[in-house]
Amino acid sequence: MAEGRRNARQNHIALARQVLDAVLEHGLRAGDHLPEQRFSKVCGVSRTPIRAAFKLLESKEILEWREEEGFFLLVAEPDALAEAARGLEDMDGSLAARILSDRADRRIGDVQSVSGLVRRYNASRHMVLNALKILSRDGVLTQLPGRAWAFQPMFDSPKAIDDSFAMRLTLEPQAITAPGFALDPKRAGLMRGQMDELLRSREGAITAAGFLRVDTDFHGLIAECCRNRFLRGTLLTHHRLRQATQKDTAIPDFRLRQALEEHLDILDSLERGQFDLAADQMTLHLRRSRNRRSEAATRGFAPMMRGPRR
Amino acid sequence: MTAPTIALFPEASFGAALNCVGIAQQLQRMGARPVFICHPGFTGVFAEYGFREYHLPDPPSEQSEDAEDYWQGFINTHLPHFDLDPLAQLPAYVAPTWEAIVDTAETAEPGLRAILDRIRPDAILLDNVIMFPAIANAGCPWVRIVSCAETEIPDPAVPPYLSGLAPEDIAACATFDRAYRAATASAHRRYNQLRARNGLTTLPDGQFLEPSPSLNLLLAPSAVRYDRNVPLHEDSFVFLEGCVREETRFDPPPFAVEEGPLIYMSFGSLGAIDTALTRRMLNVFAGMDARFLVNAGGFLEAYDAVPDNVSLASWFPQPSVVAQSALFIHHGGNNSFCEALYHGVPSLVMPYCWDGHDNAQRAEATGTGRRLDRADWDEDDLRYAILGLLNDHPMHARLSGISRQMQDTPGTHVAARAVLSLL
Repeated sequence: MAEGRRNARQNHIALARQVLDAVLEHGLRAGDHLPEQRFSKVCGVSRTPIRAAFKLLESKEILEWREEEGFFLLVAEPDALAEAARGLEDMDGSLAARILSDRADRRIGDVQSVSGLVRRYNASRHMVLNALKILSRDGVLTQLPGRAWAFQPMFDSPKAIDDSFAMRLTLEPQAITAPGFALDPKRAGLMRGQMDELLRSREGAITAAGFLRVDTDFHGLIAECCRNRFLRGTLLTHHRLRQATQKDTAIPDFRLRQALEEHLDILDSLERGQFDLAADQMTLHLRRSRNRRSEAATRGFAPMMRGPRR
Repeated sequence: MTAPTIALFPEASFGAALNCVGIAQQLQRMGARPVFICHPGFTGVFAEYGFREYHLPDPPSEQSEDAEDYWQGFINTHLPHFDLDPLAQLPAYVAPTWEAIVDTAETAEPGLRAILDRIRPDAILLDNVIMFPAIANAGCPWVRIVSCAETEIPDPAVPPYLSGLAPEDIAACATFDRAYRAATASAHRRYNQLRARNGLTTLPDGQFLEPSPSLNLLLAPSAVRYDRNVPLHEDSFVFLEGCVREETRFDPPPFAVEEGPLIYMSFGSLGAIDTALTRRMLNVFAGMDARFLVNAGGFLEAYDAVPDNVSLASWFPQPSVVAQSALFIHHGGNNSFCEALYHGVPSLVMPYCWDGHDNAQRAEATGTGRRLDRADWDEDDLRYAILGLLNDHPMHARLSGISRQMQDTPGTHVAARAVLSLL
């Protein structure tokens, strides 16, 4: 029960952050009305959790409630909204989130002991064990024989992200062409709505965090619609890890929009039952997204790229 | 009327590449069709901004499987040279680099000619340190972008290119000039042969790129320009107040303690290879009441036990980050220096090669930052340099004025207008 409450609260916090991203992306101004229905479409959830997220933002003095009118934006300055988003991060700052964030930022190593974490975070042994259990359930951490815990490989370097793309290029098109693939029309419709909303935002308004969330949701949807249980399981675990540990990558606005258009093209093909075409479009989409920057470059010498890149 | 096609050809460095993106974004807004010619190692860099790319063929050495070994060799050979002073770097780093640049010009020639035949541009923008004969022979106007440092265009009152010297240091300037010509003589001879084979006139000692007869764009904000003995012709030399591109919005990551000024450090993708220097600096940052964003380039995996007030990443949307920073620690690359000035942020310059030396000297001389030797410092030196710049209120006031002036006349707009006026 307690875990259910904690999860619900974390969902509301995550949703509140999503609302803040949407406010930024749509360039809303102080005093603008935030219709629940519109935000329910933007965030791809029903109106009840949106109302809970709005109430959370009201408690942070970002929104105000007007009787019989609804919720209105009190703060619209990008810096103030970013500050509010950070405030929500703090609320979300359960020990598990802090441990994960510190690992992703290379502040702590791959292998950790409970006593080491108790010292670092000045937390009780019970709290640390609970946090480790949460991370273990999400597939981020595994317990080694003995008392140590080891983090799974993370999205914490360009090489790791490249390895991820290499794996996804192999599996994601396969997931689409595997027998029995069936698109969930309701979820696809919600995803489409979110991506359309992002595409309608003004140039430069799509945040890296907002894009990453939609991107992992889209690829997660594709995985969930696959009927091959092993492909589905592998991809879902991988996307959960991406969501948990991949840093927001700064991608130019043009490419963010192009990637969203590619997602929509893939959905179009899936809805028409053109699975081979959708799989090819997925390959193209992942190849374009995989473009890696040179790791070092200077005049006169060929730029350094590690590993194959085609 | 069809949109004019403008081919931009930046050298294979991020400074030149992203500077050209800023100009291309503005050209596109003004109705032109910018396209990029680039090294295959930059595949996707321009496409991500929505520009078509044409790739030069891979040089033969890259087709082998040992590209990483090749770069490891580069690091092992040249990392110690980055600690040398500019004069000592001439034989150790500058001379072999010029040899490599001439190799590049020779290798690129047939591929570049074929690409230009295919594109048939209305104008070419060359952001490089060497002339490629295919460009001079393309049959359309070409524009030289001087994006390293103003010292690229010589003048008796301007210190020699790459010297890091002050103009008033006349004897040292003369010594450096002689040493530079001697160090580059072999590469220069080979280069002049390449020019002659392709029907171009030869260039004087030490010069590898002539001014364009049509238009030259100099990324040298007025606040840091030199007083020249021989003024440059206003009809073919246009000074730019920086060339800052538009980037996605950047929200700093959460830190354990959200207090203290935000400081950004980036030594560019090449500087990031010196992970030992960065680790040494992180140890100092750990004890300071400030938050640090550090560009680790492709070397993130070289770090562990990162301090709580430091966030590492392999790439930052630099203009967006600098705009939010109280101090920018960099290597003196002209793009970095100009972005700091554009946003009114003081620079702590720790140069390691090439134009970094000239820009470090200029930052000190113009009171827009200070220079710190990259090898010769202890913890107190670095700490005091950072605190001194954060608390230098007269410098902040000066930089605010410079920033206002630069933002009032964005270099990208001036450049795009000047290019289109050629057509």
